[in-house]
Amino acid sequence: MEGAVYLDNAATTRCDPRVAEAIGRTLSEDYGNPSSVHPLGVRAGRALRAARETLARALDAGPANVFFTSGGTEANNLALLGFARATRRHGLHVVVSAIEHPSTLGAVKALEEEGFETAIAPVDEKGRIDPDAFGELLRPDTVAVAVMLANNEVGAVAPIAEIAKRVRSRSPRAVFHVDAVQAFGKIPVSIRALGADSLSVSAHKIHGPKGVGALVLGGRRRPRALVFGGGQEENLRPGTENLPGIVGFARAAALAIETLEAEAARLRALRDRLWAGLAKHIPDLRRNGDPEACVPTILSLTFPGVPAEALLHQLEAKGIYVSAGAACHAKKSSLSHVLVALGLDRAHVNSTLRFSVGRFTTEEDVAVALDAVPAAYEGLRALASKR
Amino acid sequence: MTQGLVTGTRLFVRYAEVGLKGRNRFFFEQALIRNIRQALAAEHAVVERSWGRILVRVPGDPARAVERLRDVFGIASVSTAQATDKELVSLETEAARVAAAELARRPGDTLVPFRVETSRADKRFPLNSMEVNRRLGAVLLPRFPRLRVNLEEPDLTVGVDIREEAAYVYADRTAGPGGLPVGVSGRALVLLSGGIDSPVAAWLSMKRGLRVRFALFHSAAFVGEAAKEKAMDLVRILSRFQGPSRIDVVPFADVQTEIRKASPEPYRTILYRRMMHKIAERLCGRHRCSALVTGDAIGQVASQTLANLRCIDDAAPIPVLRPLLTYDKLETIALARRIGTFETSIRPAEDCCTVFQPEFPVTRGRVDVCREVEATFDVDRLVVEALKATERFALET
Repeated sequence: MEGAVYLDNAATTRCDPRVAEAIGRTLSEDYGNPSSVHPLGVRAGRALRAARETLARALDAGPANVFFTSGGTEANNLALLGFARATRRHGLHVVVSAIEHPSTLGAVKALEEEGFETAIAPVDEKGRIDPDAFGELLRPDTVAVAVMLANNEVGAVAPIAEIAKRVRSRSPRAVFHVDAVQAFGKIPVSIRALGADSLSVSAHKIHGPKGVGALVLGGRRRPRALVFGGGQEENLRPGTENLPGIVGFARAAALAIETLEAEAARLRALRDRLWAGLAKHIPDLRRNGDPEACVPTILSLTFPGVPAEALLHQLEAKGIYVSAGAACHAKKSSLSHVLVALGLDRAHVNSTLRFSVGRFTTEEDVAVALDAVPAAYEGLRALASKR
Repeated sequence: MTQGLVTGTRLFVRYAEVGLKGRNRFFFEQALIRNIRQALAAEHAVVERSWGRILVRVPGDPARAVERLRDVFGIASVSTAQATDKELVSLETEAARVAAAELARRPGDTLVPFRVETSRADKRFPLNSMEVNRRLGAVLLPRFPRLRVNLEEPDLTVGVDIREEAAYVYADRTAGPGGLPVGVSGRALVLLSGGIDSPVAAWLSMKRGLRVRFALFHSAAFVGEAAKEKAMDLVRILSRFQGPSRIDVVPFADVQTEIRKASPEPYRTILYRRMMHKIAERLCGRHRCSALVTGDAIGQVASQTLANLRCIDDAAPIPVLRPLLTYDKLETIALARRIGTFETSIRPAEDCCTVFQPEFPVTRGRVDVCREVEATFDVDRLVVEALKATERFALET
């Protein structure tokens, strides 16, 4: 929306105009089916290969190991369900962290119905995972492990490489899946360095289009497909490729990687200025997550004594858009499982807002927010405390 | 001569209470015809009156038109009739045709209990009703071996209506919603909250012939746009039953903030409601509505005790209609599902921000206390300002 201060980039981002241009061109010109043998199909196939290579490079994987999906949710589902089903003869035990995305937790729930047993690894009050404590949960018959690289609600970055070592030694048969949806494009992500078997990424979190993502694999192990069809994506994810989306995804990934370091520094500065400014005016303000290990984009704040919903709408009325918890929860009345896992009580969970910056966030935006948030908070605080 | 115009398919619309209303009958019929025309505008329907019935000609699919008429209040039932001239042989042909069509809808070879039911408005017709019944039965029975005469519990009734201008033959009957045509009972303003109850109250009001306008009290800066979107969607759904509808969106944040500051906590909810009624009463004056409609049910929540309803009714000199007064929640929900508002009503969108809600609302409010508290702030100014900033929207399905 024109003139809006959009501080909800962890929910989704505005598509970069350069990405939109690439998508538009693919829709109207390179409209062939990559499986067709005529020149249009060949051209589409070439574009698909190029996109795959770009994604592979961006994540330090082999091009043959990039499988496009409809987004992060499908990639997480494919990894969890697909790998667990493929390896169930080795065991029926799954380990995930307590702050995974609903798409991972939902897949785990489905696995439980298929007879799997789940261990949920706790996090500390900053959302940190202790690799040793995590290791204690791993068993020889553990077949799938999932941990997110950066948490979508508080931004905490998990010690994936350390966890990977524990997985290799204690659960040699297990597949280690990493949800990198919120991390990709914001911090360097290398599937090799992380030591993961699979990685999920999504385009719309990095100024790409909605409806496209990928599951990237680290080695030769393959999950079992969830859908069946005409052989595309090595039959792991058949269906005519969403070429416009995939081309847009690749363009968005390339743009994000190109400028990652400088952009991360800029975003971190913006976010930290927002935090410092708000903390100065609102002494009771609490920051959630781990400032030492956090993506540069996310700031989760608890405004004690004020309902987050009300504050959100007050800001919305001033053209400032943020989230109460994750956007995925915002429409449900249930408490955020992430904030609960961090040990926040009900009142604090209900007083928590997430601010998230992105490529199009300006210093001006932060100044507007710094101007508006304390006033809105004070006003609501006065209303809410007068019993 | 008029032969070509007479034959063809007609929707045969019967009305229940409308027919009983003595001298007002013409007025009711006119309203019903107008509402039918409006409901079928997209179908290019021609609507005519014929003593005690309304006949509708539609160029397109009659099934679609019948479906639309199920939402027009005042209609008791609708049949898809074949119009024909009044020759006996024509009646026989049409009766055979509708019977064949109805039998085709009951596959298998089971026996079908049936009867013929004739109504003869044109007394010059040579056979009387009984004679027509017998004559058509004698023609149909040998042609359709599955038919068995059963006058008490027929599954298939072939209806014949012999009128001045033509005869009509039909075998189906779709129930209408009953009630009175929208508009004949006057106009009322529905206070829409976005919950389950108020849309049902609106529907029941329309069912008794009220044309309703809607009002939403919206604290935008506290509950966001979702609450407004939801209310607008509900109005769109409800406009199916009365045609294009209007909603007034009244900004309410200032009023709530003022009351929040100035009033004893237990009385807050009643005082919000009183302010809503004061503002709504003014809207009624502006838009020629003679009553308010709310979704209150006795005792459902704290603000709906008898004492509190009395406090609320004291706020403005206007009748407050509460069609759901005696409904259980489950009854209301069942009706909301039938009307089609339930799914929208349960969409998450707060209608009152938690900072405004009292922890322990009073259950036995006192009118004098309400008045005393209101004397401490400028009620008139708040009412006037809210009215000034009210937005209006016209919505349809």
